[in-house]
Amino acid sequence: MTKDNDYISKRKFMEELDRYRRGSVTRRHFLGVTGLGTATAVLGAAVPALRPRQAWGQGSIGDRVVLATWPNYHDPANFDAFTEATGAAVDVNVFGSNEEMLAKLQAGGSGWDVFVPTNYTITTYVGENLIEPLDAARMPNFDPAAFDQRFAGPGIVDGTLYAVSKNWGTTGYAVNISKNNDVTPTTWKEFWDMTMDSFSGRTMVHDYQLTTIGNALKYFGYSFNSVDPKELADAEKLLLDAKPHLFAINSDYQPSMRSGDAWMTMCWTGDGKQMNRDMPEIVYVLGKEGGELWSDFYAIPKGAPHLDAAYALIDFLLTPDVNAKEAAFHGYPVADSRVNALLPPEVLNDPILYPAAELLDALEFGAAATLTDPNRAELLARFKSA
Amino acid sequence: MRIYAAFVYLFLYIPIGVIALFSFNAGRHASQLQGFSVQWYGKALKNPFVMDALQTSLTVALVSATCASVFGTMAAVALQGMKGPVRVGFDLLIYVAVMIPGIVIGIATLIGLVTLFDQLNPALAAIWPGGAPPQLSMGYGSLIAAHTLFTMALVIIIIRARLAGMDRALAEASSDLYATPMGTFRQVTLPLIFPAVLAGFLLSFTFSFDDFIIAFFVAGSETTLPIYVFSSIRRGVTPEINAIGTMVLAASLVLLITSQVLLRTGRRRG
Amino acid sequence: MTERGRNIFLLAPAGAWFLVMLVIPLAVVLIFSFGERGPAGGYVPAFTLEQYANLPARWAAFKNTLILAPAGTLASLLIAYPLAYYLAVRADARWKTVLLVLVIVPFWTSILIRSYAWIFLLGGRGIPALLAMIGIEDVRLINTPFAVLIGIVYGYLPLMVFPIFVNLDRLDKRLLEASSDLGASPWRTFLQVTLPMSLPGIATGCLLVFILLMGEFLIPAILGGGKVFFVGNALVDLFLQSRNWAFGSAVAATLVVLMLGSVTAYMRLIRRLGAQREDVALM
Repeated sequence: MTKDNDYISKRKFMEELDRYRRGSVTRRHFLGVTGLGTATAVLGAAVPALRPRQAWGQGSIGDRVVLATWPNYHDPANFDAFTEATGAAVDVNVFGSNEEMLAKLQAGGSGWDVFVPTNYTITTYVGENLIEPLDAARMPNFDPAAFDQRFAGPGIVDGTLYAVSKNWGTTGYAVNISKNNDVTPTTWKEFWDMTMDSFSGRTMVHDYQLTTIGNALKYFGYSFNSVDPKELADAEKLLLDAKPHLFAINSDYQPSMRSGDAWMTMCWTGDGKQMNRDMPEIVYVLGKEGGELWSDFYAIPKGAPHLDAAYALIDFLLTPDVNAKEAAFHGYPVADSRVNALLPPEVLNDPILYPAAELLDALEFGAAATLTDPNRAELLARFKSA
Repeated sequence: MRIYAAFVYLFLYIPIGVIALFSFNAGRHASQLQGFSVQWYGKALKNPFVMDALQTSLTVALVSATCASVFGTMAAVALQGMKGPVRVGFDLLIYVAVMIPGIVIGIATLIGLVTLFDQLNPALAAIWPGGAPPQLSMGYGSLIAAHTLFTMALVIIIIRARLAGMDRALAEASSDLYATPMGTFRQVTLPLIFPAVLAGFLLSFTFSFDDFIIAFFVAGSETTLPIYVFSSIRRGVTPEINAIGTMVLAASLVLLITSQVLLRTGRRRG
Repeated sequence: MTERGRNIFLLAPAGAWFLVMLVIPLAVVLIFSFGERGPAGGYVPAFTLEQYANLPARWAAFKNTLILAPAGTLASLLIAYPLAYYLAVRADARWKTVLLVLVIVPFWTSILIRSYAWIFLLGGRGIPALLAMIGIEDVRLINTPFAVLIGIVYGYLPLMVFPIFVNLDRLDKRLLEASSDLGASPWRTFLQVTLPMSLPGIATGCLLVFILLMGEFLIPAILGGGKVFFVGNALVDLFLQSRNWAFGSAVAATLVVLMLGSVTAYMRLIRRLGAQREDVALM
């Protein structure tokens, strides 16, 4: 059986996205689709003179840079390469929710140079004056035209560039089907029902209001982003009913899934891919009802102590061949056509990374209102302390 | 009885053994042994963030333990034999400082200082003569100040216990013999309370060096060793953490033995 | 210098420290607890009792703390006492110091790392795997209150052993001999002589552990999987996730009041039980 009908190929996916796109097809897109992009990239890698200028390789940027990011989101080898090339060591701090990052920045003096916010939070960071506008000239490897605007767009607020696209992805769940008679569930309803039944004591949910509340809302068919008090009350009831059946509330679920302590977890694309790669019995499911489509960004917080190193690190990670290595390692799709041109076809046709069109259509981007809505924040806190 | 004790020691040392064992793991994962290697020790020692965090922790512990010992001793000596509202007030403050959970100290310091700085920074900017005014923010200062608060209260309690057991007649005899108050303090009181001061210093140092929860709130952009370890655990543990833990344990052992030896000589003198 | 001048000089640094780092911050917490959450988090001034009215939303965290803090204290006591007794009374004098140091040594590694070791031991590949080998299947330990209790006892055992040991060690051994010479059974000697004499040590140890447990955050965070929530965890959540400084301050203020109340009541009780010392020394 060919999977072409079930899953969208990379090209189809791009066409699909074009429908969302308002403007005409860009030159970059044309290069990418026709394969000229690949030729340029290959040529560029082979002939040093054609290589993009490397801001990260020039001058002294200091000996360190501090990155705040998400679990399992980078290839450690790339950081080693960065340190090798620039002399700056990378300190990686991991967070499990956008709220936690925001709280740390609001309390002042985070000490971060680069952080990784999600699409819907950027306007809040701008409003709170916590994020530094980016100078594109200091990132020669950043090519705005190469990025898919659907995913890169939220990085620009009121015409100013604040963040550059890192990856995009979906939020579904990973389930160890060997514990479910090899049956793959397909909906969020099943996720919650199994949690309270055959998977009792074996399920994990994120320590993150957007996804944990959002996917509980999906059980009832409400919007993932709802801030409606009645709908939130339903979600809270479900969460409280499920709580005694949970294994843990934690956004870093890979260790527990891999050790077999947990059998099912809310999951982001790349974590699903990483686990599935090593343990095929762990499959990644997008609930038919919908859920989250997201894109993450690199950004620089106000008052970053090592600004030069911050730009150098972002620029380094955006270099197409580095970014391609990242993607091959972490399994999150990239919105940069130059990178996609370097990725092997099996990655670009991977159904975990590029889900079927009808599944993708049901997904929603997170809404800024959920980040600042006091009811959602308090609901999650109540759920955790219940 | 002996068997019971053996079991308790097993309980105490199995986790330590696990930590040490995995520190020699050749693989990346902290839960699967994949051969013997000391590479993680090298990695930890070469990691500038570990060394930085260690340096921050040592500096903070040293400065706060020193402040706590000096100011705590001063206060304990003054409070000795004192009566009235000042004494009652100090007793209450010491009691509260020691009873309050560390997490509340951390939170209170955070929001207290952030609020204070929000008031002071504009005022400072207004009166600053030219150039960029300094910005008060959380960091070394708040970390040291918060640690000193708690440990100073401990030092006062320890030294007071020692002073209470001290023969007052000695100090009186000294002043009868026309020694100045300072002379009495240097030649009579201080030698007597010295072991307690030293014990207080070491206890303060240990507390500060090991503290996570207060630092978690007030460290600002500084990273102490416990904060580094905490974020490493979240990042997914590599045996590097185990190596750090094993090294800290070894260093602590050395320190412990040294302090025991010092305390004994102190006692002999006392 | 007059005595008054001397005292002012000696007390000034400590007094200033207490003022800036204790009195003012606690006053700010109190003020904030009557305020409101800002639109993007934080605090906006107001005067409302709303935050206190909302306290029942954290009832489970208070309940967990109020159950597990005394339970953890008691469990530590039950495990520590026989060990302290062994070390003070029974152990070979030559080995006494070494054995005692061995109790403290684990205390000198970060509690973070020590708790972390238990994730492995209590997780599916640790003790449950061993139990499965002898036929006890499907035991779940990690992320349960039991795991947190183990972590507590493990983390704070030395703090309990030490004061009790010091107390028992000072105890005049001739008393015990006299008791048995007079024909008392060992058990009776223990109950009527040893135990009452070691009460101050027990009181100190329990107080130390209890104080630390009331504000505990790390052990439930590491071994409770976000499911066994203490007030400390609720506070971290309120300040570092949901950014509700006003409600967080109300929770913190309530915790402080609970703490001072229970500790004061505890000290009265101990005094009434006959412990002679005026202030139960903290170390």
